[in-house]
Amino acid sequence: MTSSRNPRSEFRRWRAHRPFWGGLLLTLAGAEILLTEKASLKVVLHIGMQGLAGYLLPTLMVLCGLLILFNPAQRLFYSLVGILLSLGTWLTSNLGGFLVGLLLGAVGSCLAFGWLPDQEPRRRRLLRRRHA
Amino acid sequence: MASSSDASASHGSTPESSESGSATEGPDRRGRVRLRRAAVMAVPATAIAAGLMILTAQGALGVQFAISGMPFTVTATELNGTGFEQFGNLDNMAEDSPNAGDTGGQVLVVTSAIKNATLTKLCQSVDLGGTNLLITAGSGADKVQATNLTTDSTELSGDAAFDNIEIGNDASTLSKAGVQGNKGVFSQQADTVHIANLRQTNYATTAAVFKLPGLKLRFSDQGC
Repeated sequence: MTSSRNPRSEFRRWRAHRPFWGGLLLTLAGAEILLTEKASLKVVLHIGMQGLAGYLLPTLMVLCGLLILFNPAQRLFYSLVGILLSLGTWLTSNLGGFLVGLLLGAVGSCLAFGWLPDQEPRRRRLLRRRHA
Repeated sequence: MASSSDASASHGSTPESSESGSATEGPDRRGRVRLRRAAVMAVPATAIAAGLMILTAQGALGVQFAISGMPFTVTATELNGTGFEQFGNLDNMAEDSPNAGDTGGQVLVVTSAIKNATLTKLCQSVDLGGTNLLITAGSGADKVQATNLTTDSTELSGDAAFDNIEIGNDASTLSKAGVQGNKGVFSQQADTVHIANLRQTNYATTAAVFKLPGLKLRFSDQGC
């Protein structure tokens, strides 16, 4: 392989071998939901498991998103868990971070689920290559 | 398999046998999202999400709120509750919070806890700077119901009536709503509470399970 070793093309190659947007969207979704809630830990503990779930679900969403990025071989499991968590945050975490996090997480999980490695290049890219 | 990276080499669809991350793949054989595969998950997920929202709007499902950091306003035309506690408290923001200003990251608040509450025409708005996120619920026949409602407010107004109220307890000895404050802090508690024309500016915290019949979530120029 004769690809140049600059970090940009390295990153492109790294990105090509994992469901990059799926994992990234799921991670961002979890982060967004976490940002919408900052209830003090004392109150969370008073309310018990239900209060804790509000933090637990988005945290697990971030973890699933990162695992999709860094362990793409298991993407099916992570994306399934990711979609369930995303849907669950509607109940536990401010209506899924006021809908934004829920939508991002659902889209991210679906992208990760639908991603397949080693696909034919798109025709556009194929043509561009042939012209070069 | 697929060891040559020439674009002219293979045009047919190859089976998905080679796992991702194997170093032998050429740079142009990328992974890609197959729409039909993604739809296998997207369709049921959309259905479930729609179902959750409908159930919430009908009040069949409870939703939990834990918003904070920014002050937000809650209003209701009527609040009825059993198990009421109120005490002073000091809330700490996250370290280096942009909302801290010159307060040192601490806000003096009144914590109100209600074990079971029923609210009519609930309205909640968060000022996002320029626009308000507005949530309304309970304007129909079904009322908004909340359990273990805990709010940290800087302002609270309304016409209140209490049953069996005890004023001046130590905040650490409260028992009616299951929340305790710090030792040596003034507090009050009551068996039942009734507040008409409730208006609260909640600073830091509320965490509770809400049932929101007639839920409406939208952006608006005006708050509650």
